Amino acid sequence: MFYLSELEHSLRVPPHLLNLPLEDAIKSVLQNVFLDKVLADLGLCVSVYDIKSIEGGFVLPGDGAATYKVRFRIVVFRPFVGEVIAAKFKESDANGLRLTLGFFDDIYVPAPLMPKPNRCEPDPYNKKQMIWVWEYGEPLEDFIIDDSCQIKFRVESISYPSVPTERAEDAKPFAPMVVTGNMDEDGLGPVSWWDSYELIDQEE
Amino acid sequence: MKIVKANAGALTNFEVLDFLNSRGASKDTTRVIAPIARSEYKVYDYLVETAASTQTRESVTKFADKCKDFKVAKAEILNIINLRPSSIVELLPIIETPDHQALLELVKDLLPPLPTTETHEDNAEEETDNGEQL
Repeated sequence: MFYLSELEHSLRVPPHLLNLPLEDAIKSVLQNVFLDKVLADLGLCVSVYDIKSIEGGFVLPGDGAATYKVRFRIVVFRPFVGEVIAAKFKESDANGLRLTLGFFDDIYVPAPLMPKPNRCEPDPYNKKQMIWVWEYGEPLEDFIIDDSCQIKFRVESISYPSVPTERAEDAKPFAPMVVTGNMDEDGLGPVSWWDSYELIDQEE
Repeated sequence: MKIVKANAGALTNFEVLDFLNSRGASKDTTRVIAPIARSEYKVYDYLVETAASTQTRESVTKFADKCKDFKVAKAEILNIINLRPSSIVELLPIIETPDHQALLELVKDLLPPLPTTETHEDNAEEETDNGEQL
């Protein structure tokens, strides 16, 4: 789920940070630049891990600050395909489910990857939402997917869409990294489904 | 910006939590003093609620060592440590090895359970026929 990545970056350390030790000053500049940003094909930057080397310190002509070349490691969030992750429910509509990890919201479980057989019905409390229901067992029982507990999913694919040049009027906010999840497998889906499964299993 | 090495090693949830803790992250009100960004706290808040919060460096390394006896890939070990499955059905989607039972015993022996899941189980026993209560 989390990886270390090594990066190299040239950065300008503004003069108001000169009162700090060099490493702290550079770290704070790096944090401003990278934290909470998605680097394409690398993932979401979570935290600056350490600084490996600092070179330079040149003052470019006409500039009132020193420029350094820094090599550092950064913690990135980048789930791998096939990984199982526990997330929380965010919203659901006719196209499927949207999950959140708190710090990352662009996880989608599309309708074809929902537990089968399923059905989708309108939510009586929220007009915009739809509720997904898994029909399973003998006699047929309804398992509702809601926000009552954690939901596990398997990472099906990760994509890094490029920034659109034109934006449609009603388009969703742009997401630089989108994770597609799969829930159609034993053990996946809301955690509470499988708690009761375990109990039934022990009784038999 | 130049990417020198896209993958300089994978981290478990525990290692990320440990790293944030070492920089002074905490759940109480002192969190505003610690030099930690808001986005980092979002990650922290997610991690303290996972199994990573009860793990220690020893338990994680010991578990990773013991896992070598089973034929499991590194990514699968990482996934097990992050999720800490407590039943076969939780383990099934993660790995493909046939030794589910033995591996599950190992998880139970070496990785401490989540404090919240224990209370959860107590509740479930009282309400056997109402698993969806929580």
